[in-house]
Amino acid sequence: MMGTYFAGVDIGSTMTKVVILGEEPIASFIGPTGPEHRKLAHKVMEEALGSARLAFDDLDYVVATGYGRINVPFADKQVTEITCHAKGVHSLLPSAKTIIDIGGQDSKGIKIGNGKVLSFVMNDKCAAGTGRFLEVIADALGVPLSDLGTVGLAATAPAVISNTCTVFAEAEVISQLAGGESVPNLIAGVHMAIASRVYAMTAKLKIEADVVVTGGGAKNIGLVKALEDRLRMPVLVPAEPLLTGALGAALIGRGLYADAVISGEPVRRRAKRLGEATFFS
Amino acid sequence: MALAVGIDVGSGFSKAVVCEGSAILSSAILPSGGSYRDTATRVADEALDKAGVARAAVSLWAATGYGAAMVPFADLTATDISCHASGVHCLFPSVRTVIDVGAQFSKAMRLDGQGKVTNFVLNEKCAGGSGKFLQLIARMLHINVEEIGALSLKSGNPVAFTTGCAVFAESEAVSRIAEGALPEDIVAGVHKAMASKIVNLVVRVGLAEDCAVTGGGANDAGLVKTIGEEIGVKVLVPPEPQITAAYGAAQLVQAKGVP
Repeated sequence: MMGTYFAGVDIGSTMTKVVILGEEPIASFIGPTGPEHRKLAHKVMEEALGSARLAFDDLDYVVATGYGRINVPFADKQVTEITCHAKGVHSLLPSAKTIIDIGGQDSKGIKIGNGKVLSFVMNDKCAAGTGRFLEVIADALGVPLSDLGTVGLAATAPAVISNTCTVFAEAEVISQLAGGESVPNLIAGVHMAIASRVYAMTAKLKIEADVVVTGGGAKNIGLVKALEDRLRMPVLVPAEPLLTGALGAALIGRGLYADAVISGEPVRRRAKRLGEATFFS
Repeated sequence: MALAVGIDVGSGFSKAVVCEGSAILSSAILPSGGSYRDTATRVADEALDKAGVARAAVSLWAATGYGAAMVPFADLTATDISCHASGVHCLFPSVRTVIDVGAQFSKAMRLDGQGKVTNFVLNEKCAGGSGKFLQLIARMLHINVEEIGALSLKSGNPVAFTTGCAVFAESEAVSRIAEGALPEDIVAGVHKAMASKIVNLVVRVGLAEDCAVTGGGANDAGLVKTIGEEIGVKVLVPPEPQITAAYGAAQLVQAKGVP
């Protein structure tokens, strides 16, 4: 195939995301990251290449990002997910000044100006305020993770979840359920608890509109509404909120490639093969 | 003979101690479960049975702990901080720092030479430094929580967890096991993660020797050893660390008497 193509691969704690870019994004794929000792990033890349009808050698530059970015044997460069999220969100929603990313095992707040990172805060030390909290509660209530958002919207009076810690909140939810509290009220209460936690962290940045919410948490309509209530402002959600990091990575790759072409330096891709990424070197 | 009973209704377990002066005649431990009021009565009756003493022979009753308000027959209700301090001071008068590792809470206390509390810090927000963490890991490894201590002492290569969060560590442990990590190295790694949270409490309260560890966590020899290594001093452990606050309650009620 002719033309230039770039890929961004975002290896998150839970999901791996790939975006392939020509002039415009032409393909993407989201798959599980896999256990830590055996990352499945190359499989996700193969799927994305398949739907773009490209071979790996057709790619001119590959940028890896996300917490598992370090040992990706088929990437030309690693860039932090903070930078990639900022780039990706800015390209989709140029009015964005604050990004709230709720991932599988972390949450972040990022302030951006002209697509550049001005400051950020992050929590990856405590499961409260992350997707893991939602997973644990969904399991405890026997509600599929993907249904939490809509089920929570049916709440009549959100339950008050007084514990911050995921372990204690799980026990609290089970005991409130046994005490007769409704599942929608409990889920709405959990969404409020996460929203408060994320708000408290992000507020350190001085939140400015427009606020964009990304990551798996942005697919949960109940959580997005709880965040809007807490922020007292509407938020924007990209059509594919999981892909902003991978998109940003691909855009950064395209930029690096263009810089090299302009400066006349040959863009020499290191000899790469599409192989397994590993967590440990 | 004048007998006193101290009852500690904790979030995980309820304990009762029958005392005559500073001597412990008997003790009992039951899961707190359902009704705190019933549990308090049952655990006291069990301890009294063991001592061969009738309820009517008890002249002083004291209650402490999470559910202390549910013990209507207590002559004295005191905070678990002051009961811990009293209990530890009676057992080990040289102790100035007490670390209590309970089922859901951990705390650090500083005592003066008279056994009065001069400062304390609680961790009640995070399972990372509490017995709950041990329960989660025991469940994951399909072992009893009582086996963790001895297992940990066999470890030569504790797993390094990235965070002290019990939820994240549990999933990290699953990955490490899949990679072939040994159960003893997993539990020793959990002890290190817990100890670093607990040491934070000790630093905030200020470490002074001697140091004692109490609560159910003190039954875990691996945890006690790791805490000692992390704070760099030898730690004392009462023979029955879980009943420390109940014992202290019985001591307090005897010291104060009842009008």
